[in-house]
Amino acid sequence: MPRWGMVIDVKRCIACWGCTIACKEEHFLPPGVFFNRVLIGETGKFPTSSKLIYPVLCNHCTDAACVEACPTGATYIREDGIVVVDDDKCVGCRACLVSCPYQQRTYYDQKVKDREYFPGQGKTEMELLGEKLYPLKVGTVIKCNFCSERVDEGLRKGLTPGQDEEATPACVNACPVGARVFGDLNDPDSEISRLIMEKKGKQLRKEFGTEPAVYYID
Amino acid sequence: MEKRNELEEIMFPSDGSGVKPYEWMIQPTRQREWIDDKGIFLWLAFFFSEIGAGLYFVSLFYEYKAGLILGWLVTLILGGVIHVLYLGMPLRAWRMLMKPNTSELSRGIWIIGVFAALGFLQIVTAGSFNIVFNCIMGILCLLIISHGFATMNVIRALPAWSSTMVLPLSVISGVWIGHQILQFMFAVSGSAALASGMEVWAEVFFFVYFLCILLYVWGTWHSNEIGKESIKSLITGEYSKISLIGVLGLGIVLPLILTLIMWGGNTNGFLIFLRLASVIAGDLAMRYVIMKSAVYTPLI
Amino acid sequence: MTYKTDEIWEDKWVNTTCGVCYCGCACRVRVVNGVPVKVEGIEESTMGGTRGGLCGKGIAGLMYYHDPNRIKKPLRRTNPEKGFGVDPKWKEIEWDEALEEIATRMKKIMEDNPNKILFTNQTMRASDGPHNHLYFYAKAFGIPNNGNFIIGGGSLHCGNAAHMLGGLIHGAWSIAPDWRYTKYVLKWGSSKGTGSGHSAMINARLRADGVRRGLKEIVFDPMGNFAGGKATQWVPLLPGTDTAVGLAIANYILNTRGEIDELYLRAKTNFVYLIREDGTFVRDKETDKPFVFDEKAKKIKLFDDESIAFEDFALEGDFEHNGEKCRPCFMALKEHLKQFTPEWASNISTVPVATILEVAKGWVDNAQIGSTITIEGQTFPFRPVSSVTFRGAQGHSNGIHQVASIDLISQLVGAEDVPGGTMGWPSIRRRYPGGQYERMPKVGKDGVIVPSVFYSHDPWPVHPPSYPCTNSGCVEFWSHSTLSHIPYVKEKNYIQEKFGVEKVQPEMIFGIAVNFLISQSDWDVALDNFKDCFVVLSDIWVNETDQAIGDIILPDTSYLEKDTWSSEIDSFFFNGSPSYEDWYVHLQKPVAKPVGESRDFMNVYLDVANRVGVLDKYHELLNDYYSITDEKLQLKSGEVLTWKEIGERILTWVYGDDKEKIQEQGFATWHKPIEDVYWRWNMKTRCPVYMEFLIHDRRAAEKIMKDTGFEIEMDMDQYGPLANWFWPTSHKELDDEYDLLAFSYRDILHTNNSTFQNPLIDEVSQMSPYTFTITLNKGLADEKGFKDGDIIWMENKYGTKENGIVKTMEAQHPKVLGVCGQGGLWADKRPIAKGKGSNFCKLLPSYLRHYDPITGNIETSVAVKIYKG
Repeated sequence: MPRWGMVIDVKRCIACWGCTIACKEEHFLPPGVFFNRVLIGETGKFPTSSKLIYPVLCNHCTDAACVEACPTGATYIREDGIVVVDDDKCVGCRACLVSCPYQQRTYYDQKVKDREYFPGQGKTEMELLGEKLYPLKVGTVIKCNFCSERVDEGLRKGLTPGQDEEATPACVNACPVGARVFGDLNDPDSEISRLIMEKKGKQLRKEFGTEPAVYYID
Repeated sequence: MEKRNELEEIMFPSDGSGVKPYEWMIQPTRQREWIDDKGIFLWLAFFFSEIGAGLYFVSLFYEYKAGLILGWLVTLILGGVIHVLYLGMPLRAWRMLMKPNTSELSRGIWIIGVFAALGFLQIVTAGSFNIVFNCIMGILCLLIISHGFATMNVIRALPAWSSTMVLPLSVISGVWIGHQILQFMFAVSGSAALASGMEVWAEVFFFVYFLCILLYVWGTWHSNEIGKESIKSLITGEYSKISLIGVLGLGIVLPLILTLIMWGGNTNGFLIFLRLASVIAGDLAMRYVIMKSAVYTPLI
Repeated sequence: MTYKTDEIWEDKWVNTTCGVCYCGCACRVRVVNGVPVKVEGIEESTMGGTRGGLCGKGIAGLMYYHDPNRIKKPLRRTNPEKGFGVDPKWKEIEWDEALEEIATRMKKIMEDNPNKILFTNQTMRASDGPHNHLYFYAKAFGIPNNGNFIIGGGSLHCGNAAHMLGGLIHGAWSIAPDWRYTKYVLKWGSSKGTGSGHSAMINARLRADGVRRGLKEIVFDPMGNFAGGKATQWVPLLPGTDTAVGLAIANYILNTRGEIDELYLRAKTNFVYLIREDGTFVRDKETDKPFVFDEKAKKIKLFDDESIAFEDFALEGDFEHNGEKCRPCFMALKEHLKQFTPEWASNISTVPVATILEVAKGWVDNAQIGSTITIEGQTFPFRPVSSVTFRGAQGHSNGIHQVASIDLISQLVGAEDVPGGTMGWPSIRRRYPGGQYERMPKVGKDGVIVPSVFYSHDPWPVHPPSYPCTNSGCVEFWSHSTLSHIPYVKEKNYIQEKFGVEKVQPEMIFGIAVNFLISQSDWDVALDNFKDCFVVLSDIWVNETDQAIGDIILPDTSYLEKDTWSSEIDSFFFNGSPSYEDWYVHLQKPVAKPVGESRDFMNVYLDVANRVGVLDKYHELLNDYYSITDEKLQLKSGEVLTWKEIGERILTWVYGDDKEKIQEQGFATWHKPIEDVYWRWNMKTRCPVYMEFLIHDRRAAEKIMKDTGFEIEMDMDQYGPLANWFWPTSHKELDDEYDLLAFSYRDILHTNNSTFQNPLIDEVSQMSPYTFTITLNKGLADEKGFKDGDIIWMENKYGTKENGIVKTMEAQHPKVLGVCGQGGLWADKRPIAKGKGSNFCKLLPSYLRHYDPITGNIETSVAVKIYKG
């Protein structure tokens, strides 16, 4: 069984926000909701300071705080390691949301659903269509699912996630500088495992102890 | 809240988080889901279920059925209903019983369920104040009292909540306020002697409560940098007014004065009422600022 | 991939070309039930990022289609008063009425003088479309030299100096490192490979692979953000002082280390041309060709004498020709450079001496002078060092010297258009196999390359300043301006009067999607200069310029609704890959139906040309431009075709039998021979590094100024043949009160101001710390008592001010403040953009002294004071 994970090469990343916006289009997310973000900061002092750019998304942790906190079992880890929310079981208590040290979850309520990209001007055709194509359930918590629909559908078609675009998360495809690699952490020969080994991949805030499946290399 | 310039409001519309969008998880970022907007329900729910259980707990010692009934009702009706209203999918609330093995929240729901059933049994059964029943109910009460803060306490992502003093503080606050309600009930129901007799415990509970708050502040400050950020926002930051007037003024100083006035059992109904109102307001403020000031560790 | 429902009757992907910035990356759009819902790159294409990657703003481009603020019908101003804050009182009118009014006015003006019509174009607009056709469209009206073009956003985006030298050295519009082979890159005020510039995502992809391979990037920039923030080493310096550091490095290479690529200098530059005492070339009277000295034959010969071997062109020596002393101009360079010590450069730029020396040493050490590399069986000189610049460094009143000194570093080690070196954008376009259209640069006067395509004013051959000028750009006088600055200059009327243009005062502006009023320089000057014109603009929204001075606004289609078959056929030299990878040409195919009654501006232009009676002339120009010789395909007089119908013919000409296939898949790909990439040693050209023509230009210009009594002071010393140091105007205006230099830079999220109206970009802009804010060095902010979130005003010496929100950062020079691009917008019909960011452009004073006297490049930094608002 694969364990899906991601490597983000921060040396390549130029903070274009392609991942963030592609993800929004892929999942028809309303304004203010992000499954992908880019954190931009600085370290050091002038003139030797350096810019920090960290694209972040759900880490699909092995010891996920959200899964532990969920009282209903709606949030669970699939066999392939992807952390998902079953919106038929979620009661919207938001324990998962509060528990996530990476803050990668969003509570989807009517207020969020009603947001318009052009405030006060009504929803665009795209937003309306999105509600049909990718229906989100009001009163539940939503999050990055590593584009599990793409992964599952791709595998069904015999494609390889991480290699075939159709079976790969949208943010990975979108990246113009190839900063994202998606693949199987369990396969020692996969590109992702190789990169983590060779470039000493690090998890973001490893000290939180949740064992993220997203690694950073620089 | 700081008055925002129009320019700022246009470019970075305030979302109530107190940080600009580009500071999110780069600066310590405040927990909002469990206090802002509808999250305020959770603050009330935790408070009511805990003081209800506190009242029930203290009433056990005085074998006072009216206290049991009121405590039971407050815990379940006010605490429970408000809690369910907070949920995104209230009709599915029963699903929260599904994961008691991992979820503190789920365990809490079970305990409330057992408390509801056994408490009902104790209330309707004559002669139910036996030692075994009392012990079971006492333990259940303590678990419920600490339920809210225990749910918060397990969240490692928020150092201000996972601080070691959170649980003792929550237990004493439930017991102290429960005790105050009962003392007031006695005072107004013509049992002035009982009320006066309770004052010695009031003195003890009050000082323990006071001590626990101090220890919470001291402990969280010294826990780590992020815990320190939370305490800073309590003492000097955005919430300092609520901390000063609510927690310090109403939760500590005024009750202290009243306790000194009534020292040695020199109680009267009005002063007991005044102290009750004061400690309820103080405790609400204490819970509010603790929930409001918890921040996440920046990711980079 | 998403959940399907029964209500979906169409779900397809359409290949097209991104139109959010001028780079034109390959993109494909998912269309569901006729509605575009997602944008991606095209995996099979290298026209863009890695594996079909696309940048954020490209992906967000969808919103240009969905914006409810799009104009649906032509609008006519009913309030005759124009200006900022004046309600134009728009009235919707029918297309026919609008076009008839435009044509009638044009015809009337043309009876008098067509030069009274100004044309505008802007390469960074949401409506996109063909980038270059408008230049020769204007020619159909009888307007030569593009002197009547006003460019929007020129201050922040166009690079007159960079384009001029790009054309002269590389026959190209711009330059980039050869990312694939380079090891050491100096970037001067440019973000190539880290966000913007031409072929932005192609460069970003190639750069990312390069840094992974271990290349070192040294970035000279006032700010450590997009380029500096990603650099191996960020070197903070004051804006406009790059020349000083560049000259000091050149001095180190030539005089301290003495390690230069002699063969290259002898073979590929004009440093071997003999000059007299006054610096001008010694020329043959008959052919006007410059002389050189053949060291082997010990004889003076014409520069293109085939009998001289490359290594025998003398770089040094004192000779005599017809009794006149002469020497190779290289000697003048050598002496000239000696004055530029690292200490001197450090004083000007604030870059520490040690850093200058360290970088200079790294440059020479990495240049591997003398080494070669064999690729695809061909051997080339291998110079894995590259020095590149663009808008940042060149955008100063000393712009030409900035660019020339940055180029000089590459010249000295022979790192031009060879593997690892500094590359021009493709200067060659090979025909598609079986197709017809090919463009090759030529070798012009003095052996200088003549670009095969160049938008606007050709860089070579040069013509000396002359007068009277015939158009409002006065390009006869400013003969090196790619696009003229004069329409924006405060003293415009005086200049035009002196140079004899007063009789062609512009009466009409006809253009597309430009927001030139607020995106160039001082708004009031621009308003003053243009408000009396009858202004007709095509756009998808009513922008600030439209609202302030527009008379008729025509609803354009966005790039998602356009059929722009010509996009990259024409702009290979603009956004093709400069690296060794296949040619890729993408078509822009409509993915959705036009919004409202909007029409593709090219169809509108054809309609107007027809009504005015110049359509046949335009057809001729098109036939000529694409060199169509097949009579069946030629556009004939009397024909009235749509842009798409014209495309059918031209695509057949360009792609031959594969036309249908290419139209179907939306792009074409074919092999790029390696010698087309590294063409330098295959083409008999010489870089005019010694800009002798400027000596003559100076004489001509000074004479005109004297003859006409032209009294505005210009820094005429800049008309010199060698890169030299001149203080930028902004530095001259610094004093105790106006103590900071404000500068602007491009944010990866924004192209001009069109992107400000895109809500997907808007929300991530809010999450990006520097995009909507004014950045200040942290130490400076502390010293001045400012902190993050403060509202401050920036005010220039002329009383113009702009406010914004402070964001402090460590990675910024403590004497500057940075503002990204063109915020501070206020058009009522662009609610998302309204109020976001700060407008930097308005702070730029627009007196003639603020422009590069040679190229007309505006000074893009400005002395300001700041105070709390």
